Amino acid sequence: MILKGIGYGCEGKIVETNQRHSPVSFLSTPDQTEMRNGWKVVLKYKDEGTGPFLIDLSHRKRLDVQDSNLSKFQPGGVTIPEVPGQCAFQNGLLINRMNRTQAAVWHLLGDSPDMTQETAYTEVTEGSIFLALLGSESEVFSIMEKVTSQDLRQTANEPPFLIQGPIFHVPCQIVVFDEKEKGSAILFTCSRGYGISMAPELLEAGAEYGLRPAGEKAFSAWIKSLIDYSPQRRGDR
Amino acid sequence: MALTITCPICGKRNGYEFRYGGVEKGPRPNEEGLTHTSWCDYVHMNECVAGIQQEWWFHRDGCGVWFTTYRDTTTNLEVEKPEVDR
Repeated sequence: MILKGIGYGCEGKIVETNQRHSPVSFLSTPDQTEMRNGWKVVLKYKDEGTGPFLIDLSHRKRLDVQDSNLSKFQPGGVTIPEVPGQCAFQNGLLINRMNRTQAAVWHLLGDSPDMTQETAYTEVTEGSIFLALLGSESEVFSIMEKVTSQDLRQTANEPPFLIQGPIFHVPCQIVVFDEKEKGSAILFTCSRGYGISMAPELLEAGAEYGLRPAGEKAFSAWIKSLIDYSPQRRGDR
Repeated sequence: MALTITCPICGKRNGYEFRYGGVEKGPRPNEEGLTHTSWCDYVHMNECVAGIQQEWWFHRDGCGVWFTTYRDTTTNLEVEKPEVDR
């Protein structure tokens, strides 16, 4: 949601403000926050614990790319996977092949590059929620087993891979990162309107495993460790 | 829950993820010389086969693809394409 308004800047000039609101909110008290492109981003919550974590990433830029010939596009220099269900993770970009004509582009490093002018791209950041469930392999998959009937441990595809299916009967795009020693993560998006109920229900389902809300820092540290770990993901040739 | 449907993109999934799109009736009739009665028959009339029929399904909770598959209406199970249709 964008709230547009007119305000007075620090030098007395009239400036336009774009205030954006995440559809997800946690009851925990934020410890560190910052404003970024109109979003109030929580970097850290008080009393986050040691994991597993539920992290709101709804402010991270997401694009859809749609064309009858997706092979001619390379978002951020990354080749779109050919087979639906496969993901490419490189240069901090996660690209999920959805079907014959569509792919989703998620900026996992938190940068917000300028929107491309090509008509095949549509920015969908504010149309959906984006959550990450981060923890050990057993914690993450045990929690997800309570909320979805999808087989998240399917071995046909190499992680990260995409599953399009329901969580709590809500159609979602689910990406599975099963990194063993570096920890596992489930990243998923769904329509914005479900944000108000999705997070509380997930926290309730994960309460027995100690699932708590966490700020963006927890996710950033994890994703950077994955990128540093793999030359291919750094974009090195 | 007995019914599972095999999506061409996502694979075999719970039948509740899909929306039924009706029996496959072949190509749309040619508009030249089309009467109200024949159009109405094409749109609304079904053969209600007791056995295997080809049907349209929509992966509503998943990838959003429309596709056809075969289902035995007497067992409500998805089946292989019959030999006569191959």
